[in-house]
Amino acid sequence: MKELLIAGALLASCSPAYAAETPITGNVQTRCLIVTDTNGVYGNPLPSKLSTLSADGGVVPVVRYDVTLADAYLAKVTTPTQFSTAPALTDAVTWTGSTTVTNTTDVGMAGYEAAKVTYGSTTQYDLVVAGSTWFSSESAAVYGVNKSFPGGSYTALILAECIAK
Amino acid sequence: MTPTYPQFEISFMPGVSVTTMNLFNKRKDVAYYEIGVFTDEWKPVPFVSQYTVIPMKYLDTISFDVYVSNDALRSVEYICSQSKVNVRTTVTSKICSRIK
Repeated sequence: MKELLIAGALLASCSPAYAAETPITGNVQTRCLIVTDTNGVYGNPLPSKLSTLSADGGVVPVVRYDVTLADAYLAKVTTPTQFSTAPALTDAVTWTGSTTVTNTTDVGMAGYEAAKVTYGSTTQYDLVVAGSTWFSSESAAVYGVNKSFPGGSYTALILAECIAK
Repeated sequence: MTPTYPQFEISFMPGVSVTTMNLFNKRKDVAYYEIGVFTDEWKPVPFVSQYTVIPMKYLDTISFDVYVSNDALRSVEYICSQSKVNVRTTVTSKICSRIK
């Protein structure tokens, strides 16, 4: 019995030396990420005007798109046409806005600005190159005809969309 | 949101198809995302999921199933996630996967 136990222990301890192959696997999924790079702030250069331009005391909002697959997504950035929060307004607000590419991670994105399509307050870009693109959206609101905005807090939203083609 | 091009499969319920989506929150200023299913004309399509509004912490990843009746499945074109805004947010983000 003792011999059997010793033999078993010896067999168990004899492990052959194999070359170990340890695979490293990875999976990169196609995706589009939208990140707020800079939150916008409205300046109030005139009583009747709110503007994100730095010359008007505002901060231009910047949105970054990260795309990991070329030619799979459309970026659509829409500037505001209404306030999401504001004091009660009794007159019409005239909105203007525009979106431009301000930074990219790939030289192949140099043509994005020239190829953009604008309709209404929306600007559309075809993201044909993988990488990151920064979009800046200027926005301005003018109240009535030289009418002062009522005092209070105003918020308007940029809509940044990434739509699979 | 992934996959970019999801595919529906037969679910455990007769007459209902399902696909699994993954959502990743890369925005510090957003804590909730709303799920929507749309036609190619951006009309809403009825669907069922574990969540309609998903609470998510920064850098969280979550998987969820989207169930659509086989009758409505033909009209499904997009599955989208849209960020819900809070008082600090000035950007609403919307990411849409497409059924091909």
